[in-house]
Amino acid sequence: MLFFIIVSLLILAWFGAPLFTLILSVSIIGFSYQEINLTVIPIELYRITNTPLLLALPLFTFTGFLMGESNTSHRLVRLSSALLGWIPSQLVLVTLIASALFTAFTGATGVTIVALGALLYPALKETGYSEKFSLGLITTSGSLGLLLPPSLPLILYVVIVQQLDLDQNISIEQAFLAGILPTLLMIFTLFFWSVWLSGNKPVARKEYSNKELFSALRESVWELPLPFIVLGGIFSGLFAVSEAAAVTALYIIIVEVFIYKEVSLAQLPAVIQKSMTMIGGILLILACALAMTNYLIDAEIPILFFEWIQSHIDSKITFLLLLNIFLLVLGAILDIFSAIVIISPLIVPVAISFGVHPVHLGIIFLANMQLGYLTPPVGMNLFIASYRFNKSIFDIYRSTIVMMLLLLVCVLIITYVPALSLFFIEP
Amino acid sequence: MTYSAINFFKILHKKLLQIETVLLVSTFLIVLAIAVIQIVLRNFFDLGILWADTFLRITVLWLGMMGALFASRNNNHINMNLGLKYLSANSLRYVKTIVHFFTASICFIVAWYGVNLVTMEYEDAGIAFASIPIWFTVIIIPVGFTIMGLRYFSLAILLIADADAEKKPIGSLN
Repeated sequence: MLFFIIVSLLILAWFGAPLFTLILSVSIIGFSYQEINLTVIPIELYRITNTPLLLALPLFTFTGFLMGESNTSHRLVRLSSALLGWIPSQLVLVTLIASALFTAFTGATGVTIVALGALLYPALKETGYSEKFSLGLITTSGSLGLLLPPSLPLILYVVIVQQLDLDQNISIEQAFLAGILPTLLMIFTLFFWSVWLSGNKPVARKEYSNKELFSALRESVWELPLPFIVLGGIFSGLFAVSEAAAVTALYIIIVEVFIYKEVSLAQLPAVIQKSMTMIGGILLILACALAMTNYLIDAEIPILFFEWIQSHIDSKITFLLLLNIFLLVLGAILDIFSAIVIISPLIVPVAISFGVHPVHLGIIFLANMQLGYLTPPVGMNLFIASYRFNKSIFDIYRSTIVMMLLLLVCVLIITYVPALSLFFIEP
Repeated sequence: MTYSAINFFKILHKKLLQIETVLLVSTFLIVLAIAVIQIVLRNFFDLGILWADTFLRITVLWLGMMGALFASRNNNHINMNLGLKYLSANSLRYVKTIVHFFTASICFIVAWYGVNLVTMEYEDAGIAFASIPIWFTVIIIPVGFTIMGLRYFSLAILLIADADAEKKPIGSLN
């Protein structure tokens, strides 16, 4: 019977049944089997109202969508070029840094490739980079920034861990700090590789110009305070994270609608609708997963899983290695949000027992998932790039594969050198 | 059905979709406004709206459910969907019909027990915040799942009648 149920759920998943219904089926079947009244399911769904932090998700998602609709990407690229223009291979660095910052704010939605790619792809080719390299760089850069505040997956991970009632609790501030060095590692690995690659052919270097810098600064003067509002507000203790999200959302409405006038007031409902559709799907999965996690805990499955792992794996290194493999496979079949919500309640307690810091685990988790965006055959960013630049998916595979492998090396370093993630947290 | 009856349902359908949109957009704007007002009151006037925090936590559920309703308009829910591309057009249609029926039935089950929960909370007569009773804040669960279930149910029926039903935006019934 159990076998039959599992197989039918897998078949339904294979043929595109919405993920939330599959998660709900597990709880429905599980709770019925334990003869628990199924009213427990709506009670569990209602539980997402216990988490104040969650409000940050819809608000930051909206902000990201609104910035995606306006010319923020344009200003960001112009300002980064004005600042970094004197560096050799400056455009590569601009691509990497601008993409990372844009992704941190717009979330893991593929917006970066579409918005920044349109500007940077022609610019890179014009500067003399090959089409293959330019495509690869833009597609790869699109996933950087997931580890930087205020990225949605990072917030979601903290929400889940805080729900778990662990002895070792973590704060959103810690998670925000932890991603900085790992992101820099990835950016500079890709940068130095690009410099080495273009070492034998001279690439035009832009003249540094005070005038251009000044005018780029003036153009983006209204968006510049954004990181300071978000990070300054949170780390000074002035705002909670969800409050920072509210202030940011209001600020960006004022800036884009009333100052830059790039999005009209009449367009705002459509932006709200689009962003809420995306976050609604995620919140629904989160709520359903809370119910399932509770069933699993009732049925003592995490404990069984835990004991099974401990009887088969005895060292932290082996555990981390298997974790890497598992997460890479997971990243290829599940989107990042669902993966965090469904899998992290199971692996966080196990990881802690192997001495992995929960914040470090979050960074490992997200870094692996980030690679999933670029992993053939189904990495989402590969398809977005293929669609956006009108190239065959195989062209995209070929152009990204080396950079993906470089990022894989970075992910391994991030996994086995905890200090990289914990540097700002544990003195 | 006569022509005018069909017309009536078309108009009703469109109106309901519009109401849904207006509700979602206004809820979002109210949440944003209350959150900002609360921050301003606290930081500059040392005041606060007593029920604001509870209200905001509950509206996250409402925003999430309403967003999920939008995602069900065109079957945009997150799924893995690895297998559909290997099917022929005809079998695709039947497989999708079955999957949609499955989705609809799960939604109806949750909606049913959601009604149960609303009834229980109604009898308990607890207050969520201000003078809003808890049962009212829970009601979005049965309502949301019922509408989602109906959407997937009708999508399944439409697929039996018309192979391209899924590609047509839900606003147009032609």
